[in-house]
Amino acid sequence: MSSRREAVAAEIPRLRRYARALVGDSSEADDLIQDTLERALARLGQWRDGDNPRKWLFSILHNLHVDGLRRSSRRPPHVGLDSLGPEQSAPAADGASGGDLDRALQLLTSDQREVVLLVGLEGLSYAETAEVLSIPIGTVMSRLARGRDRLRTLLAYGLENDAEHAGLRRVK
Amino acid sequence: MSGGRRISEVELHAFVDGELVGAEAAEVEAALATQPEDLRFARAITDLNDRLTQHYAPVLDEPVPAGMAALAARAARGERRWAPALPRALSITAALLLAGAAGYAAGALGRGEAWRQPAFVANAFSAHQVFVPEVRHAVEVGAAEEKHLVQWLTRRLGTEVRAPELNEHGWKLVGGRLLPDRGQAAAQFMYEDATGRRLTLYVRKEAGLMDAAFRFAERGDCAAFYWIDRSRAYALAGRLDRSELMQLANSIYAQLGGPSAGQG
Repeated sequence: MSSRREAVAAEIPRLRRYARALVGDSSEADDLIQDTLERALARLGQWRDGDNPRKWLFSILHNLHVDGLRRSSRRPPHVGLDSLGPEQSAPAADGASGGDLDRALQLLTSDQREVVLLVGLEGLSYAETAEVLSIPIGTVMSRLARGRDRLRTLLAYGLENDAEHAGLRRVK
Repeated sequence: MSGGRRISEVELHAFVDGELVGAEAAEVEAALATQPEDLRFARAITDLNDRLTQHYAPVLDEPVPAGMAALAARAARGERRWAPALPRALSITAALLLAGAAGYAAGALGRGEAWRQPAFVANAFSAHQVFVPEVRHAVEVGAAEEKHLVQWLTRRLGTEVRAPELNEHGWKLVGGRLLPDRGQAAAQFMYEDATGRRLTLYVRKEAGLMDAAFRFAERGDCAAFYWIDRSRAYALAGRLDRSELMQLANSIYAQLGGPSAGQG
């Protein structure tokens, strides 16, 4: 049991990194991690030997995140353009372009953002991502392509012009 | 366009993400050498990943907040408190509260929720709706042969299956049957109360999925709670209101998830 707890504790920095990118706000992200840890520690006994702690924790985080989205479903599914001011927090700012990345990510759908981050930031395989999100691999691949496409468009053309560009695709 | 077919965007993503090996990877590498568009696309994806990694890297070095550290420390001191029975009950209560909220929100949303629902839930609803109206052939094996029923279903599903005891809630076992579910075997246990209402407990082996907390689903006038525990997926479906269904689901979880069910 105690080695399992150590394994959970060791994942905290990575969980925080992912949550920060996922929800865009550092205190909201830490609330999500707190909930994830509470749920995980309460279920150490259900953790099957051989289970990958990272995958398991990301699954718990995902489920809590989805539950949170459902609870706040009266809000639009993602942050609208007009609510994004310069005062929007840029959690891990690395200059102006870093803030753009935070905001551009928040303009993806939550589904797309999860896949783009699990694969691109956390380095999970498609199969692991599919397991974490309980979706088929084909869905991982299509969300990844759409999400990255949108993210590149947002970053290349600026957040304001998003609606005017259908997408930055490979030239056919 | 010389030398080989056009590589798709999906393949280029997969290549960058390290998902391709052997001949598949070699084919994309060859394309990158001759197709500048493909190369630009692959580089753009790589750059995007690099940018994400660099931008969020500082979070890894931030000190862990006191709240999280305290949580870990508390768990470390009170090791026994996290052992089987009590915490399971506590965590399931929390999960139920979440499930209730999730069910409400799902109804308010009314769209885009289906993909989050595993396929076995739809099968459970179908099984319930097809077999519950049956008077004479509701089950294949009746409750009188419960031992045989359980042994048979355990053998066919390839995982230990039990029929939980719901008498104290006013529900008695009618029996069960074997069902096909995406090329695998699934089991349906049917229960009946004194007023003739019926309830389905659907069970399937789900080795590929992680454990999942209770979730609520509805189809027509039928409601269900479903969860995944120790490589088994469960759905409890019936025309009951949520709180009654929740109470039964909680009881089933406590019985099947208990120490005697063994580690999967």
